[in-house]
Amino acid sequence: MPAETLDPRGVRFTAWMTSGILALGLVTTSWRVLAAQTALFALCAFVGLRLNPWGHVYRQTVQPRLEPADEADREDPAPVRFSQGVGFVFALLAMIGYAAGWDFLGILANALALVAALLNAAFGYCLGCQMYPLARRLVPSGRSATDV
Amino acid sequence: MTAEWWALACAVTVAMFLGLVWRARQGRIRVRNTTADTDVERTVFDQLPQEINRTLRERVPAGSEGSQAVTLLQLSTTFCAPCRHTRILLAGLAERTEGIRHVEVDLTHHPDWSTPLGVHTTPTTLALDSTGRELFRFGGVPRRDKLTEVLRPYLG
Repeated sequence: MPAETLDPRGVRFTAWMTSGILALGLVTTSWRVLAAQTALFALCAFVGLRLNPWGHVYRQTVQPRLEPADEADREDPAPVRFSQGVGFVFALLAMIGYAAGWDFLGILANALALVAALLNAAFGYCLGCQMYPLARRLVPSGRSATDV
Repeated sequence: MTAEWWALACAVTVAMFLGLVWRARQGRIRVRNTTADTDVERTVFDQLPQEINRTLRERVPAGSEGSQAVTLLQLSTTFCAPCRHTRILLAGLAERTEGIRHVEVDLTHHPDWSTPLGVHTTPTTLALDSTGRELFRFGGVPRRDKLTEVLRPYLG
């Protein structure tokens, strides 16, 4: 059972910010922009969602103006964290692509990450979470999963 | 326009298209034609290989053991955000409504179940009658009022 659930609006807020950075990365093809996003993804996926700077911005500026989220609407952090890990892989590929001058790889990985971030931001649909069963098929004994 | 701007435009368009398709399909109730290849209506259990059948039977006792009129069999996976919302909604519905039972199975631990059940996205919920026949199914989080309406005729 998750110790703490997430405000879904905070997750969407982060997704909008991520979309903004990824869109900027796409039009500038700058590996530095992607490096920054890769670091943010890594922070959320491997260290902890509490450290997400967009989460802090959300809690400081937006959340106080909103009604508290309904308990039933709150999100389990595990899928969100996993999807940040998927984002990390794509952002890393894009960064390597731009830095090494393989623009096609960079733009492709960057665009795919942007599609996923926009789906999360605009529709609340977590594309990264859909990768979990696939990842599990490749690594059957993979990471420990919280049973239901 | 340069390649970068084209890529941005494509990514935004694809995301909007996928999002709208996904939203339109959310929670829509579908009736699967189980009599397509045979004349007799088959139960969900009959469609499954024996081993899976046995495991599922343990979770969903049929006949006299399970006197519930309708079983909502929710198929979930571990890292699935809408599964949690569906679980809260269906568990609440089962608690408040006589004759409805909610059973959740995590397909992460039973990946071989998805093909025989025809479930390829999670959460998908199958509504089964007391003998295990599939009444209807829906993917994603259903609308509570819609679901109650569809269930009413089966609850007598």
